[in-house]
Amino acid sequence: MKYNMGILAVIALVLIVTPSPAGLVQGNVDRLAQTQNAVLIEEQKKLVKAFDSHIKDYLRQRDRVRKKLPKLSKDATAEQIHAYQVSFVEALRAMRAGTKPGYMFQPAFADHIRAIIKDEFKGTERVELRQEVLEADTKGVPLRVNYPYPDNKELTQIPPTLLLRLPQLPKEVKYRFVGTNMLLVDTDNSLIVDYMTKALP
Amino acid sequence: MKRFPALILALLFFVLGGLHTHVAAQALKDGNAKGAHAAAPALKITLPRKDGSVRFLAIGDTGTGSNKQQELADVMLRSHAAFPFETVLLMGDNMYGGEGPKDYLNKFENIYRPLIDQKVKFYATLGNHDEPAQRFYEHFNMGGKEYYRFTRGSVAFYSLNSNYMDKKQVEWLNSELSKDTSKWKIAFMHHPPYSSGGKHGSDKSLRKVVEPIFLKHGVNVVLTGHDHFYERVKPQKGIYYFVTGAGGKLRSGDVMKNSPLTDKAFDKDMSFMLIEIADDQMYFQVLSRTGTTVDVGVLPLPKKA
Repeated sequence: MKYNMGILAVIALVLIVTPSPAGLVQGNVDRLAQTQNAVLIEEQKKLVKAFDSHIKDYLRQRDRVRKKLPKLSKDATAEQIHAYQVSFVEALRAMRAGTKPGYMFQPAFADHIRAIIKDEFKGTERVELRQEVLEADTKGVPLRVNYPYPDNKELTQIPPTLLLRLPQLPKEVKYRFVGTNMLLVDTDNSLIVDYMTKALP
Repeated sequence: MKRFPALILALLFFVLGGLHTHVAAQALKDGNAKGAHAAAPALKITLPRKDGSVRFLAIGDTGTGSNKQQELADVMLRSHAAFPFETVLLMGDNMYGGEGPKDYLNKFENIYRPLIDQKVKFYATLGNHDEPAQRFYEHFNMGGKEYYRFTRGSVAFYSLNSNYMDKKQVEWLNSELSKDTSKWKIAFMHHPPYSSGGKHGSDKSLRKVVEPIFLKHGVNVVLTGHDHFYERVKPQKGIYYFVTGAGGKLRSGDVMKNSPLTDKAFDKDMSFMLIEIADDQMYFQVLSRTGTTVDVGVLPLPKKA
Protein backbone atom coordinates (compact mmCIF):
# COMPACT_ATOMS: atom_id res chain seq x y z
CA MET A 1 0.00 0.00 0.00
CA LYS A 2 2.86 2.31 0.96
CA TYR A 3 4.48 1.47 -2.38
CA ASN A 4 1.28 2.35 -4.28
CA MET A 5 0.94 5.66 -2.44
CA GLY A 6 4.55 6.49 -3.34
CA ILE A 7 3.93 5.80 -7.03
CA LEU A 8 0.79 7.93 -6.97
CA ALA A 9 2.69 10.82 -5.36
CA VAL A 10 5.41 10.66 -8.03
CA ILE A 11 2.79 10.55 -10.81
CA ALA A 12 1.00 13.53 -9.27
CA LEU A 13 4.26 15.48 -9.05
CA VAL A 14 5.10 14.70 -12.67
CA LEU A 15 1.63 15.82 -13.75
CA ILE A 16 1.99 19.09 -11.85
CA VAL A 17 5.41 20.05 -13.21
CA THR A 18 4.95 18.76 -16.76
CA PRO A 19 3.08 21.08 -19.13
CA SER A 20 -0.16 19.60 -20.42
CA PRO A 21 -0.52 19.01 -24.16
CA ALA A 22 -2.89 22.00 -24.19
CA GLY A 23 -0.30 24.05 -22.29
CA LEU A 24 2.37 23.00 -24.77
CA VAL A 25 0.20 24.12 -27.66
CA GLN A 26 -0.54 27.45 -25.94
CA GLY A 27 3.17 28.00 -25.28
CA ASN A 28 3.99 27.38 -28.92
CA VAL A 29 1.22 29.75 -30.03
CA ASP A 30 2.58 32.47 -27.70
CA ARG A 31 6.12 31.99 -29.00
CA LEU A 32 4.85 32.08 -32.58
CA ALA A 33 2.87 35.25 -31.87
CA GLN A 34 5.94 36.84 -30.31
CA THR A 35 8.02 35.97 -33.36
CA GLN A 36 5.33 37.27 -35.67
CA ASN A 37 5.08 40.49 -33.62
CA ALA A 38 8.83 40.89 -33.78
CA VAL A 39 8.74 40.44 -37.57
CA LEU A 40 5.81 42.84 -37.81
CA ILE A 41 7.54 45.46 -35.67
CA GLU A 42 10.64 45.09 -37.81
CA GLU A 43 8.50 45.57 -40.96
CA GLN A 44 6.83 48.62 -39.42
CA LYS A 45 10.21 50.08 -38.51
CA LYS A 46 11.30 49.71 -42.13
CA LEU A 47 8.12 51.44 -43.35
CA VAL A 48 8.59 54.34 -40.94
CA LYS A 49 12.24 54.61 -41.90
CA ALA A 50 11.32 54.85 -45.58
CA PHE A 51 8.67 57.46 -44.75
CA ASP A 52 11.21 59.50 -42.74
CA SER A 53 13.56 59.36 -45.67
CA HIS A 54 10.87 60.77 -48.04
CA ILE A 55 10.11 63.51 -45.52
CA LYS A 56 13.81 64.41 -45.43
CA ASP A 57 13.82 64.61 -49.25
CA TYR A 58 10.94 67.05 -49.04
CA LEU A 59 12.68 69.12 -46.38
CA ARG A 60 15.77 69.39 -48.58
CA GLN A 61 13.66 70.67 -51.49
CA ARG A 62 11.84 73.02 -49.16
CA ASP A 63 15.07 74.36 -47.72
CA ARG A 64 16.45 75.13 -51.17
CA VAL A 65 13.37 77.25 -51.87
CA ARG A 66 13.21 78.88 -48.43
CA LYS A 67 16.82 80.05 -48.54
CA LYS A 68 16.05 82.13 -51.62
CA LEU A 69 13.16 83.92 -49.89
CA PRO A 70 13.53 87.01 -47.69
CA LYS A 71 13.45 85.92 -44.04
CA LEU A 72 10.11 86.33 -42.30
CA SER A 73 10.49 88.30 -39.07
CA LYS A 74 8.93 87.10 -35.80
CA ASP A 75 6.89 90.29 -35.67
CA ALA A 76 5.82 90.57 -39.29
CA THR A 77 2.91 92.54 -40.68
CA ALA A 78 -0.05 90.74 -42.23
CA GLU A 79 1.18 91.83 -45.68
CA GLN A 80 4.65 90.38 -45.08
CA ILE A 81 3.19 87.05 -43.90
CA HIS A 82 0.95 86.86 -46.95
CA ALA A 83 3.74 87.76 -49.40
CA TYR A 84 6.05 85.18 -47.80
CA GLN A 85 3.45 82.41 -47.99
CA VAL A 86 2.57 83.15 -51.60
CA SER A 87 6.15 83.24 -52.85
CA PHE A 88 7.06 80.17 -50.80
CA VAL A 89 4.21 78.05 -52.11
CA GLU A 90 4.63 79.15 -55.73
CA ALA A 91 8.35 78.39 -55.80
CA LEU A 92 7.84 75.06 -54.04
CA ARG A 93 5.05 74.03 -56.41
CA ALA A 94 7.27 74.79 -59.38
CA MET A 95 10.10 72.74 -57.92
CA ARG A 96 7.83 69.79 -57.12
CA ALA A 97 5.86 69.86 -60.35
CA GLY A 98 4.85 66.36 -61.40
CA THR A 99 4.94 64.88 -57.87
CA LYS A 100 2.50 62.00 -57.69
CA PRO A 101 0.21 61.21 -54.75
CA GLY A 102 1.40 58.38 -52.54
CA TYR A 103 5.04 59.40 -52.72
CA MET A 104 5.16 59.54 -48.93
CA PHE A 105 2.04 57.59 -48.02
CA GLN A 106 3.12 54.46 -49.87
CA PRO A 107 0.52 51.65 -49.75
CA ALA A 108 2.09 49.57 -46.97
CA PHE A 109 2.84 52.66 -44.90
CA ALA A 110 -0.72 53.95 -45.41
CA ASP A 111 -2.02 50.59 -44.13
CA HIS A 112 0.21 50.98 -41.09
CA ILE A 113 -1.30 54.43 -40.43
CA ARG A 114 -4.83 53.07 -40.88
CA ALA A 115 -4.08 50.30 -38.37
CA ILE A 116 -2.81 52.81 -35.78
CA ILE A 117 -5.90 55.01 -36.16
CA LYS A 118 -8.23 52.01 -36.00
CA ASP A 119 -6.53 50.76 -32.87
CA GLU A 120 -6.64 54.19 -31.21
CA PHE A 121 -10.34 54.81 -31.77
CA LYS A 122 -12.82 52.12 -30.81
CA GLY A 123 -16.52 52.15 -29.93
CA THR A 124 -17.86 55.55 -28.94
CA GLU A 125 -14.45 57.20 -29.43
CA ARG A 126 -14.50 56.12 -33.06
CA VAL A 127 -18.00 57.57 -33.50
CA GLU A 128 -16.96 60.84 -31.83
CA LEU A 129 -13.82 61.14 -33.95
CA ARG A 130 -15.75 60.60 -37.19
CA GLN A 131 -18.38 63.12 -36.10
CA GLU A 132 -15.80 65.79 -35.22
CA VAL A 133 -13.77 65.29 -38.40
CA LEU A 134 -16.67 64.92 -40.81
CA GLU A 135 -18.50 67.97 -39.42
CA ALA A 136 -15.44 70.19 -39.85
CA ASP A 137 -15.52 72.95 -42.44
CA THR A 138 -13.14 71.28 -44.89
CA LYS A 139 -15.38 70.94 -47.93
CA GLY A 140 -13.54 72.34 -50.92
CA VAL A 141 -10.06 71.40 -49.74
CA PRO A 142 -8.51 69.94 -52.89
CA LEU A 143 -7.43 66.34 -52.59
CA ARG A 144 -4.45 67.08 -54.78
CA VAL A 145 -0.76 66.94 -54.16
CA ASN A 146 1.16 70.18 -54.66
CA TYR A 147 -1.91 72.39 -54.19
CA PRO A 148 -2.27 74.84 -51.32
CA TYR A 149 -4.68 74.09 -48.47
CA PRO A 150 -7.19 76.99 -48.68
CA ASP A 151 -6.71 79.57 -45.92
CA ASN A 152 -10.46 79.84 -45.32
CA LYS A 153 -10.85 76.17 -44.40
CA GLU A 154 -10.70 74.61 -40.96
CA LEU A 155 -7.61 72.74 -39.81
CA THR A 156 -9.16 69.90 -37.86
CA GLN A 157 -7.43 68.99 -34.63
CA ILE A 158 -5.52 65.72 -34.63
CA PRO A 159 -6.42 64.10 -31.30
CA PRO A 160 -3.29 64.27 -29.13
CA THR A 161 -3.40 60.60 -28.10
CA LEU A 162 -3.31 59.68 -31.79
CA LEU A 163 -0.61 62.20 -32.60
CA LEU A 164 1.63 60.62 -29.98
CA ARG A 165 1.30 57.25 -31.72
CA LEU A 166 1.74 58.36 -35.31
CA PRO A 167 5.26 58.55 -36.73
CA GLN A 168 6.68 61.85 -35.55
CA LEU A 169 6.98 64.61 -38.12
CA PRO A 170 9.39 67.54 -38.21
CA LYS A 171 7.84 70.91 -37.31
CA GLU A 172 7.70 71.92 -40.98
CA VAL A 173 4.98 69.35 -41.84
CA LYS A 174 1.73 68.36 -40.16
CA TYR A 175 -0.89 65.62 -40.39
CA ARG A 176 -4.39 66.91 -41.19
CA PHE A 177 -7.76 65.17 -41.54
CA VAL A 178 -9.98 66.20 -44.44
CA GLY A 179 -13.11 64.09 -44.58
CA THR A 180 -11.98 60.49 -44.22
CA ASN A 181 -8.60 61.30 -45.76
CA MET A 182 -5.32 62.18 -44.12
CA LEU A 183 -3.11 64.87 -45.58
CA LEU A 184 0.45 65.99 -45.01
CA VAL A 185 0.45 69.79 -45.07
CA ASP A 186 3.37 72.21 -44.89
CA THR A 187 3.21 74.28 -41.70
CA ASP A 188 4.38 77.59 -43.19
CA ASN A 189 3.03 77.68 -46.72
CA SER A 190 0.04 75.26 -46.49
CA LEU A 191 1.19 73.14 -49.43
CA ILE A 192 -0.47 69.72 -49.58
CA VAL A 193 2.64 67.55 -49.65
CA ASP A 194 0.83 64.20 -49.90
CA TYR A 195 -2.41 62.49 -48.90
CA MET A 196 -3.90 59.07 -48.26
CA THR A 197 -7.55 58.05 -48.54
CA LYS A 198 -9.75 56.07 -46.13
CA ALA A 199 -7.69 56.98 -43.10
CA LEU A 200 -10.66 57.13 -40.74
CA PRO A 201 -12.00 53.81 -39.44
CA MET B 1 -25.25 142.18 -48.20
CA LYS B 2 -22.56 142.02 -45.48
CA ARG B 3 -24.88 139.84 -43.45
CA PHE B 4 -25.02 137.15 -46.17
CA PRO B 5 -21.77 135.21 -45.33
CA ALA B 6 -22.69 135.23 -41.64
CA LEU B 7 -26.09 133.80 -42.50
CA ILE B 8 -24.51 130.99 -44.56
CA LEU B 9 -22.09 130.21 -41.74
CA ALA B 10 -24.94 130.07 -39.22
CA LEU B 11 -26.89 127.77 -41.53
CA LEU B 12 -23.86 125.50 -42.06
CA PHE B 13 -23.27 125.34 -38.32
CA PHE B 14 -26.90 124.38 -37.77
CA VAL B 15 -26.87 121.65 -40.43
CA LEU B 16 -23.57 120.10 -39.30
CA GLY B 17 -24.60 120.29 -35.66
CA GLY B 18 -27.83 118.48 -36.46
CA LEU B 19 -25.98 115.87 -38.48
CA HIS B 20 -23.56 115.23 -35.62
CA THR B 21 -26.42 114.79 -33.14
CA HIS B 22 -28.07 112.33 -35.55
CA VAL B 23 -24.87 110.27 -35.90
CA ALA B 24 -24.41 110.08 -32.13
CA ALA B 25 -28.04 109.09 -31.64
CA GLN B 26 -27.77 106.44 -34.34
CA ALA B 27 -24.58 105.13 -32.75
CA LEU B 28 -26.34 104.80 -29.41
CA LYS B 29 -29.23 103.03 -31.11
CA ASP B 30 -26.85 100.62 -32.87
CA GLY B 31 -24.79 100.30 -29.76
CA ASN B 32 -21.60 99.62 -31.63
CA ALA B 33 -19.89 102.81 -32.73
CA LYS B 34 -17.41 104.95 -30.87
CA GLY B 35 -20.18 107.46 -30.23
CA ALA B 36 -21.97 104.82 -28.20
CA HIS B 37 -18.81 104.09 -26.27
CA ALA B 38 -18.40 107.75 -25.35
CA ALA B 39 -21.98 108.06 -24.17
CA ALA B 40 -22.27 104.65 -22.45
CA PRO B 41 -22.45 104.56 -18.66
CA ALA B 42 -19.33 103.55 -16.76
CA LEU B 43 -18.96 99.83 -16.15
CA LYS B 44 -19.15 98.46 -12.65
CA ILE B 45 -15.82 96.76 -12.19
CA THR B 46 -15.65 94.94 -8.88
CA LEU B 47 -12.05 93.72 -9.14
CA PRO B 48 -9.88 95.09 -6.32
CA ARG B 49 -7.14 96.73 -8.46
CA LYS B 50 -4.46 96.06 -5.87
CA ASP B 51 -0.98 97.55 -6.13
CA GLY B 52 1.40 95.30 -8.04
CA SER B 53 -1.30 92.87 -9.15
CA VAL B 54 -1.22 91.12 -12.53
CA ARG B 55 -4.21 92.17 -14.63
CA PHE B 56 -5.31 90.65 -17.88
CA LEU B 57 -8.26 89.88 -20.08
CA ALA B 58 -9.09 86.47 -21.57
CA ILE B 59 -11.22 86.03 -24.66
CA GLY B 60 -11.58 83.38 -27.33
CA ASP B 61 -12.99 82.64 -30.77
CA THR B 62 -12.95 86.28 -31.72
CA GLY B 63 -12.08 86.49 -35.40
CA THR B 64 -15.33 87.12 -37.22
CA GLY B 65 -15.05 90.83 -37.92
CA SER B 66 -18.76 91.14 -37.11
CA ASN B 67 -20.60 94.07 -35.54
CA LYS B 68 -21.11 91.99 -32.44
CA GLN B 69 -17.38 91.38 -32.09
CA GLN B 70 -16.98 95.15 -32.34
CA GLU B 71 -19.63 95.72 -29.69
CA LEU B 72 -17.85 93.39 -27.31
CA ALA B 73 -14.55 95.11 -28.11
CA ASP B 74 -16.18 98.39 -27.10
CA VAL B 75 -17.03 96.89 -23.71
CA MET B 76 -13.43 95.67 -23.45
CA LEU B 77 -12.25 99.22 -24.08
CA ARG B 78 -14.62 100.62 -21.48
CA SER B 79 -13.46 98.05 -18.96
CA HIS B 80 -9.86 99.00 -19.69
CA ALA B 81 -10.63 102.56 -18.66
CA ALA B 82 -11.84 101.31 -15.27
CA PHE B 83 -9.47 98.38 -14.92
CA PRO B 84 -6.24 99.04 -16.83
CA PHE B 85 -5.09 95.58 -17.86
CA GLU B 86 -1.81 95.29 -19.76
CA THR B 87 -2.37 91.91 -21.43
CA VAL B 88 -5.04 90.14 -23.47
CA LEU B 89 -4.93 86.36 -23.90
CA LEU B 90 -6.53 85.07 -27.09
CA MET B 91 -7.86 81.51 -26.89
CA GLY B 92 -7.60 80.83 -30.62
CA ASP B 93 -9.83 80.99 -33.68
CA ASN B 94 -8.39 84.44 -34.09
CA MET B 95 -9.35 84.46 -37.76
CA TYR B 96 -12.41 82.73 -39.20
CA GLY B 97 -12.56 82.36 -42.96
CA GLY B 98 -9.70 83.78 -45.00
CA GLU B 99 -6.39 84.97 -43.60
CA GLY B 100 -5.30 87.60 -46.09
CA PRO B 101 -4.01 91.03 -45.02
CA LYS B 102 -7.55 92.44 -45.11
CA ASP B 103 -8.74 89.71 -42.77
CA TYR B 104 -6.06 90.59 -40.21
CA LEU B 105 -7.25 94.17 -40.49
CA ASN B 106 -11.00 93.56 -40.36
CA LYS B 107 -11.09 90.70 -37.87
CA PHE B 108 -8.42 91.94 -35.49
CA GLU B 109 -6.55 95.21 -35.95
CA ASN B 110 -9.44 97.55 -36.67
CA ILE B 111 -11.53 96.05 -33.91
CA TYR B 112 -8.94 96.19 -31.14
CA ARG B 113 -7.00 99.22 -32.42
CA PRO B 114 -7.89 101.48 -29.43
CA LEU B 115 -6.44 98.86 -27.04
CA ILE B 116 -3.34 98.27 -29.20
CA ASP B 117 -2.81 102.05 -29.26
CA GLN B 118 -2.90 102.05 -25.46
CA LYS B 119 0.01 99.55 -25.45
CA VAL B 120 -2.13 96.56 -24.45
CA LYS B 121 -0.31 93.43 -25.65
CA PHE B 122 -2.23 90.54 -27.14
CA TYR B 123 -0.86 87.00 -26.74
CA ALA B 124 -2.45 84.45 -29.05
CA THR B 125 -2.82 80.72 -29.18
CA LEU B 126 -3.83 78.76 -32.29
CA GLY B 127 -7.30 77.30 -32.84
CA ASN B 128 -8.66 74.97 -35.49
CA HIS B 129 -9.42 77.94 -37.74
CA ASP B 130 -5.94 79.44 -37.51
CA GLU B 131 -3.03 78.92 -39.86
CA PRO B 132 0.25 78.36 -38.01
CA ALA B 133 1.67 81.35 -39.93
CA GLN B 134 -0.19 83.58 -37.44
CA ARG B 135 2.70 82.93 -35.08
CA PHE B 136 4.72 85.51 -37.02
CA TYR B 137 2.13 88.26 -36.72
CA GLU B 138 3.39 91.33 -34.91
CA HIS B 139 0.29 91.85 -32.74
CA PHE B 140 -0.01 88.24 -31.57
CA ASN B 141 3.37 88.28 -29.78
CA MET B 142 4.03 84.58 -30.34
CA GLY B 143 7.71 85.07 -31.21
CA GLY B 144 7.37 82.81 -34.24
CA LYS B 145 6.42 79.84 -32.03
CA GLU B 146 3.32 77.66 -31.99
CA TYR B 147 3.64 77.28 -28.20
CA TYR B 148 5.51 79.54 -25.83
CA ARG B 149 5.82 80.86 -22.30
CA PHE B 150 5.96 84.36 -20.86
CA THR B 151 5.72 85.81 -17.39
CA ARG B 152 4.07 88.75 -15.65
CA GLY B 153 5.02 89.22 -12.00
CA SER B 154 4.32 86.01 -10.12
CA VAL B 155 2.42 84.47 -13.03
CA ALA B 156 3.82 82.22 -15.76
CA PHE B 157 1.63 81.90 -18.84
CA TYR B 158 1.83 78.91 -21.16
CA SER B 159 0.28 79.30 -24.59
CA LEU B 160 -0.28 75.80 -25.98
CA ASN B 161 -1.23 74.60 -29.43
CA SER B 162 -4.01 72.16 -28.58
CA ASN B 163 -4.76 71.76 -32.27
CA TYR B 164 -1.48 69.91 -32.68
CA MET B 165 -0.26 68.55 -29.35
CA ASP B 166 2.62 66.42 -30.62
CA LYS B 167 5.49 64.74 -28.81
CA LYS B 168 7.79 67.73 -29.20
CA GLN B 169 5.27 70.04 -27.54
CA VAL B 170 4.59 67.58 -24.73
CA GLU B 171 8.33 67.31 -24.06
CA TRP B 172 8.72 71.10 -24.15
CA LEU B 173 5.82 71.58 -21.73
CA ASN B 174 7.21 69.00 -19.31
CA SER B 175 10.65 70.52 -19.47
CA GLU B 176 9.53 74.15 -19.03
CA LEU B 177 7.15 73.37 -16.19
CA SER B 178 9.72 71.28 -14.34
CA LYS B 179 11.98 74.37 -14.09
CA ASP B 180 9.17 76.81 -13.31
CA THR B 181 9.10 78.24 -9.79
CA SER B 182 6.34 80.79 -10.46
CA LYS B 183 3.63 80.99 -7.84
CA TRP B 184 0.86 80.90 -10.47
CA LYS B 185 1.06 78.78 -13.59
CA ILE B 186 -1.65 79.45 -16.13
CA ALA B 187 -2.06 77.44 -19.32
CA PHE B 188 -4.19 78.75 -22.15
CA MET B 189 -5.17 76.92 -25.31
CA HIS B 190 -8.05 76.52 -27.70
CA HIS B 191 -9.62 73.14 -26.89
CA PRO B 192 -11.11 72.58 -23.43
CA PRO B 193 -10.14 69.45 -21.46
CA TYR B 194 -13.36 70.06 -19.51
CA SER B 195 -16.48 71.67 -20.97
CA SER B 196 -20.24 71.21 -20.87
CA GLY B 197 -20.67 72.13 -24.51
CA GLY B 198 -23.25 70.17 -26.45
CA LYS B 199 -21.53 70.79 -29.78
CA HIS B 200 -17.94 70.02 -28.71
CA GLY B 201 -17.66 69.48 -24.94
CA SER B 202 -14.67 68.04 -23.10
CA ASP B 203 -11.71 67.13 -25.25
CA LYS B 204 -10.89 63.80 -23.62
CA SER B 205 -7.95 62.94 -25.84
CA LEU B 206 -6.31 66.26 -24.97
CA ARG B 207 -7.16 65.76 -21.32
CA LYS B 208 -5.46 62.34 -21.28
CA VAL B 209 -2.24 63.95 -22.48
CA VAL B 210 -2.08 67.31 -20.69
CA GLU B 211 -3.84 66.74 -17.38
CA PRO B 212 -1.12 64.48 -15.90
CA ILE B 213 1.47 67.10 -16.85
CA PHE B 214 -0.56 69.92 -15.29
CA LEU B 215 -1.02 67.90 -12.10
CA LYS B 216 2.61 66.84 -11.89
CA HIS B 217 3.95 70.38 -12.22
CA GLY B 218 1.29 72.36 -10.39
CA VAL B 219 -0.56 74.23 -13.13
CA ASN B 220 -3.27 76.19 -11.29
CA VAL B 221 -5.53 77.60 -13.95
CA VAL B 222 -6.45 76.52 -17.50
CA LEU B 223 -8.19 78.97 -19.85
CA THR B 224 -9.74 77.70 -23.07
CA GLY B 225 -12.18 78.49 -25.89
CA HIS B 226 -13.61 76.42 -28.80
CA ASP B 227 -17.08 76.20 -27.23
CA HIS B 228 -18.80 79.50 -27.91
CA PHE B 229 -19.95 80.39 -24.42
CA TYR B 230 -18.58 81.08 -20.95
CA GLU B 231 -18.20 78.33 -18.36
CA ARG B 232 -16.51 78.18 -15.00
CA VAL B 233 -15.95 74.48 -14.45
CA LYS B 234 -15.95 72.98 -10.97
CA PRO B 235 -12.29 72.56 -9.94
CA GLN B 236 -10.98 69.32 -11.37
CA LYS B 237 -8.30 67.60 -9.28
CA GLY B 238 -7.46 71.00 -7.81
CA ILE B 239 -7.16 72.87 -11.14
CA TYR B 240 -9.47 75.74 -12.16
CA TYR B 241 -10.78 75.36 -15.74
CA PHE B 242 -12.59 78.08 -17.67
CA VAL B 243 -14.12 78.18 -21.13
CA THR B 244 -14.22 81.68 -22.58
CA GLY B 245 -15.00 81.13 -26.24
CA ALA B 246 -17.69 83.70 -26.95
CA GLY B 247 -15.55 86.61 -28.13
CA GLY B 248 -16.81 86.70 -31.70
CA LYS B 249 -19.34 83.89 -31.98
CA LEU B 250 -22.09 82.66 -29.70
CA ARG B 251 -23.61 79.19 -29.53
CA SER B 252 -26.73 80.11 -27.64
CA GLY B 253 -28.19 77.37 -25.43
CA ASP B 254 -25.23 75.03 -25.99
CA VAL B 255 -24.29 74.54 -22.33
CA MET B 256 -25.74 71.17 -21.33
CA LYS B 257 -28.35 71.54 -18.63
CA ASN B 258 -27.49 69.93 -15.28
CA SER B 259 -23.93 69.24 -16.38
CA PRO B 260 -21.98 67.93 -13.38
CA LEU B 261 -19.01 70.02 -14.53
CA THR B 262 -20.62 73.44 -14.38
CA ASP B 263 -20.14 75.85 -11.50
CA LYS B 264 -21.40 78.76 -13.56
CA ALA B 265 -22.19 79.12 -17.25
CA PHE B 266 -23.48 81.81 -19.57
CA ASP B 267 -24.53 81.17 -23.16
CA LYS B 268 -27.02 83.96 -23.78
CA ASP B 269 -24.59 86.54 -25.16
CA MET B 270 -20.95 87.06 -26.04
CA SER B 271 -18.50 87.63 -23.19
CA PHE B 272 -14.92 87.96 -21.95
CA MET B 273 -13.11 87.55 -18.64
CA LEU B 274 -11.20 90.14 -16.64
CA ILE B 275 -8.69 88.60 -14.26
CA GLU B 276 -6.55 90.05 -11.50
CA ILE B 277 -3.96 88.06 -9.60
CA ALA B 278 -2.74 89.47 -6.33
CA ASP B 279 -0.62 87.31 -4.04
CA ASP B 280 -2.57 84.10 -3.38
CA GLN B 281 -5.86 85.26 -4.85
CA MET B 282 -7.25 85.20 -8.36
CA TYR B 283 -10.13 87.65 -8.82
CA PHE B 284 -12.27 87.42 -11.92
CA GLN B 285 -15.21 89.19 -13.47
CA VAL B 286 -16.99 88.16 -16.65
CA LEU B 287 -18.72 90.80 -18.74
CA SER B 288 -21.18 90.41 -21.58
CA ARG B 289 -21.65 92.47 -24.75
CA THR B 290 -24.10 94.70 -22.89
CA GLY B 291 -21.59 95.35 -20.11
CA THR B 292 -23.51 93.18 -17.67
CA THR B 293 -21.53 91.16 -15.15
CA VAL B 294 -22.39 87.50 -15.68
CA ASP B 295 -19.96 85.94 -13.21
CA VAL B 296 -17.66 87.27 -10.54
CA GLY B 297 -15.57 85.75 -7.78
CA VAL B 298 -12.25 85.09 -6.15
CA LEU B 299 -10.32 81.83 -6.11
CA PRO B 300 -7.49 80.98 -3.76
CA LEU B 301 -4.15 79.65 -5.02
CA PRO B 302 -4.67 75.88 -4.96
CA LYS B 303 -2.59 74.13 -2.33
CA LYS B 304 0.12 71.82 -3.64
CA ALA B 305 -0.81 68.17 -3.41
